[in-house]
Amino acid sequence: MLGWLLFAGFVLSMALVVTVGNALIFLIAWEIMSMISYFLVIFDHTHEKSVKAGIIYIVMTHIGTAFIIASFLILFKYAGSFDFAAFKSASRTIPPNLKHIIFLLLLVGFGTKAGIVPLHIWLPYAHPQAPSHISSIMSGVMIKTAIYGMLRFIVFILGIEGIWWGNLILILALLSCLVGVIYALMEHDLKRLLAYHSVENIGIILLGIGASMVFLKMNLPVLAVLSLCAGLYHLINHAIFKGLLFLCAGAVYKATGTRNIEKLGGLIKMMPWTAAAFLTGSLAISAIPPLNGFVSEWLTLQAFFLGALSSPGGYKVFFSICASLLALTGGLTAACFVKAFGITFLALPRSKGVTEAKEATFSMKFAFVFMMLLTVLFGLAAAFIIKLLVKVSGFIFGLNTEGMNFSINNFSLAIPQSGAYLSTPLIAIVFAAIAGICFLCVHLFAGRSRIGSYNTWDCGYYNLDARTEYTATAFSKPFRIAFNFFLLPYSKTEKIRESFYHVKSFKYEVFTTFIFRRYVYDPIISLVLLAAKQTRKIQAGSIHMYLAYILITILLLIFFYR
Amino acid sequence: MDIPICIGQTLLLMLFAPLVSGIIKKIKNNLRMRIGASVFQPYYNLAKLFAKEEVVSHNASWIFRVTPFIVLASSISALLLVPAFVSRISLNSMGDLLLIVFVLALGRFFLALAGLDTGSAFGGMGSSREMFISSLIEPVAVMSIFVVSLNAHSTNPQIISSMPVVAFSSIIAATSLFFVIIAETSRIPVDNQETHLELTMVHEAMVLEYSGRSLALIEIASYIKQIVFFSLIASVIFPWGISSGISIDSLLISIGAYCMKITILCVFISVLEVSAAKMRLFRVVDFASIAFVLSVLGVIISSMGR
Amino acid sequence: MFVDILLSAILITGFLMIAAKRIGAIIKGFISQSLILFLLTLLLAYKSHSVELYVVAGLLFVVKVILIPHFLSRIVKKIKVDENLGLFLNPTVSIFVALFFVYLSYIFTDKIVCVEEGIEHGAFSVSLSVILMGMFIMIFRMKAIAQIVGLLVTENGLFLAAASVSGGMPFFVEIAVFFDIFLCVIILELFVYKINKAFTHIDVHRLNGLKG
Repeated sequence: MLGWLLFAGFVLSMALVVTVGNALIFLIAWEIMSMISYFLVIFDHTHEKSVKAGIIYIVMTHIGTAFIIASFLILFKYAGSFDFAAFKSASRTIPPNLKHIIFLLLLVGFGTKAGIVPLHIWLPYAHPQAPSHISSIMSGVMIKTAIYGMLRFIVFILGIEGIWWGNLILILALLSCLVGVIYALMEHDLKRLLAYHSVENIGIILLGIGASMVFLKMNLPVLAVLSLCAGLYHLINHAIFKGLLFLCAGAVYKATGTRNIEKLGGLIKMMPWTAAAFLTGSLAISAIPPLNGFVSEWLTLQAFFLGALSSPGGYKVFFSICASLLALTGGLTAACFVKAFGITFLALPRSKGVTEAKEATFSMKFAFVFMMLLTVLFGLAAAFIIKLLVKVSGFIFGLNTEGMNFSINNFSLAIPQSGAYLSTPLIAIVFAAIAGICFLCVHLFAGRSRIGSYNTWDCGYYNLDARTEYTATAFSKPFRIAFNFFLLPYSKTEKIRESFYHVKSFKYEVFTTFIFRRYVYDPIISLVLLAAKQTRKIQAGSIHMYLAYILITILLLIFFYR
Repeated sequence: MDIPICIGQTLLLMLFAPLVSGIIKKIKNNLRMRIGASVFQPYYNLAKLFAKEEVVSHNASWIFRVTPFIVLASSISALLLVPAFVSRISLNSMGDLLLIVFVLALGRFFLALAGLDTGSAFGGMGSSREMFISSLIEPVAVMSIFVVSLNAHSTNPQIISSMPVVAFSSIIAATSLFFVIIAETSRIPVDNQETHLELTMVHEAMVLEYSGRSLALIEIASYIKQIVFFSLIASVIFPWGISSGISIDSLLISIGAYCMKITILCVFISVLEVSAAKMRLFRVVDFASIAFVLSVLGVIISSMGR
Repeated sequence: MFVDILLSAILITGFLMIAAKRIGAIIKGFISQSLILFLLTLLLAYKSHSVELYVVAGLLFVVKVILIPHFLSRIVKKIKVDENLGLFLNPTVSIFVALFFVYLSYIFTDKIVCVEEGIEHGAFSVSLSVILMGMFIMIFRMKAIAQIVGLLVTENGLFLAAASVSGGMPFFVEIAVFFDIFLCVIILELFVYKINKAFTHIDVHRLNGLKG
């Protein structure tokens, strides 16, 4: 009951955040959103991990809010009122240096909520611990309100002052992409994996947005609109497929009681609908045509390509490298989701609890089918959606988008500057047609199939069971070794022997060092704690001391007012 | 008139594809001072596979059975996008060069899943290595495509293949694309197609559990993928001899030029396969980074106008 | 003229409270200060002919002269503690500190109150010094009763400040404050009783375990 109330309040507060026109109410709605999501994160308060996750989340989000308030106060000083319209008209009078500072404050403030590296550390704690439907909304919608805030305040209200703003956002976005996906590859908790992918996808969204800011400053309005469209489109797509993936993860958790993929397996036979939904989500997030994730990634790549075409030498290389790193994250994401889907759903179950898993209930299946339909729809109807997004982007930049037409008819996208076309419905039709023709041809020419069923090839050992399957740790081992300069993995082994020759059990655990936690956050936290310890000495315990503090303050006031 | 020619072009290339593998094998064997099997051996192998019975593991699910068709369809869709013989005929309203990379990724995704599906350790190992290698090589592919597209001001393969002059940076891009071909078509030094030892398996490990006609379909798909990449280099990056119209004589010249370019590529690959040794898996990172640096060099040279 | 006499009487009673060494003495000092304050308020009420001030003066008499001291002496009798009001500073030094407070408040008043009406100037400085004296009693005396009395003296000073400079606080605020004070004393009395029961002393200085 309380859960549903909080849920409704959460959705309402998010709707409020994106619709108000006054900075004060925006802050109130923002705070309400943060607080309610905090309560939802620690909903399972008996679990001490949830409480810890909640603390990290609430501290980080309040640090971000503090930065946002600081920037609002500066804007208020120039505008005289808290309305967004007043901010916008006053932004012309703000000196450029101050605009740079406001930009940085807003970037840090909204970046904490969005999950840009290095402010992302709350995401992998908070999203797994929250109940799954909350995680899906938090990951799908809440971190996007931060992107909304960035667009509204930095692009629309403040106006872009320097080209280094866009460059900074591009670099942070690339960092988020790569860091997010590399950590995601190492994770074996299903929801933690998805949370790290949220970090990565925020990076991809910011790639589009950062590129649009750079293009705007370079006086390339068509490209700016195109990249912003790509970023916004990815925003919507991510909400859809990440929501779907989190819901599936929740269904798996409910059915089996564990989120650890190393203990799952073979669920495709017991939970076919969940498996199909997770497969759709995985295909979408790995940018596989013709689903929606592919369209937004293609658009971002095209935007980078056109940017490289139209900009001077240094930027050509920069944009090309951005595009190739985007392709890298796409490839790594596909690898990660092959692992996630393959080990969770395919082959044999790896633990006993999994064999009794039951399919999700009707309401869950309904949600799955709905989200799957949305995924496919947003992929096939890309041309139609781009038309709407062009208008939105034009409004955000204050440009006239009459002539910018990125879709030919309602079925295919066309980038006139580069003469490239993309038609997702055509891809789907051609694909289905070819698959169908192949199927028919094979049947016609080779007769009916005779399929025998037998054990997996076992090299001559009989009775192979789930213990010889590939594990998730093994799947990600090449990545662990390739990226070990960043992950700094270490392992712990434990051998229990009965005698020198007979090892009874051997435990092997691999850990990755969380460098952000170790080198950035832990020093800051210990500094803060040290300062707090010193300040504690004021509290001496005697009432008279405390009263004396008051008297001294009054005396000092009297002195100074002289 | 365009669509039938496009379909005809694609069918011709599909027919051609196993022959390319046969030629490569023949040249390799000749280099090894052996006579070797005939160039049409892949066709005989496929015919044999279609006739055989198929055995599917107990553990497999519907993904295992659907994958061969998906992989084949994705390879053929990629083939449709390449203007091999006529520079203005390909299904370019469907997509551009970047789509080729992603469509092949679709096939690879399902193939990796099928490797994990049967619950054998070989399949898992193959899937893991395949995803590893492909994710490292994807930025190189995109970068090479960028270089070539920057020179032609478009990612549309039709426009690129109609360019009169081949820029120097495109040649460098072709070199890094050659690295991509080695990785994607599982050639030495990345993977060995001739062996079934687990130490050296990547692609073969993933399809270990397949037999009969499914295996035949997957083999056809890998031949087609190979010829897609070869055509990219032959017809898109080095469009010498490609015809711009559909008259018979220009078509014949175009097909002849295409065959010559493919043969040159086959010779390159065979020599490389015979003379190099297969790398350790984790050395693929170095391999990919060399290719990446090459393509960045291509971008830099392209930005200088060459 | 009467006003000046009364104001100086308030100051003197303040000094007496500061110099007091026993609980009984400080309570007697408080009663006398409240009485003089009552007379002062009556005088002000007569001068300004406001009915409200009469009512307030009456309330002052009832609450601060009769009720509160009654409760205070009741608690003192009940808990049967040592009469000695623990002092941090001996009476001589305390008197000098109080003198310093008076000087300070006089200078302060000089700066902020314009010297038009004589009453306000003198009354404000006296009230400020009474406030500071009340705080002094709270800080530099060990027993809990001293803290209660110090609070009440501070409130006396505040009342005087309000009454002299602005003609009294709004009526309802005055009533509310009186009620508050009265309730405060009752609650504090309860607390003192409990402290005595728990620790067998009401020496607040010894209750310093709640440290950081």
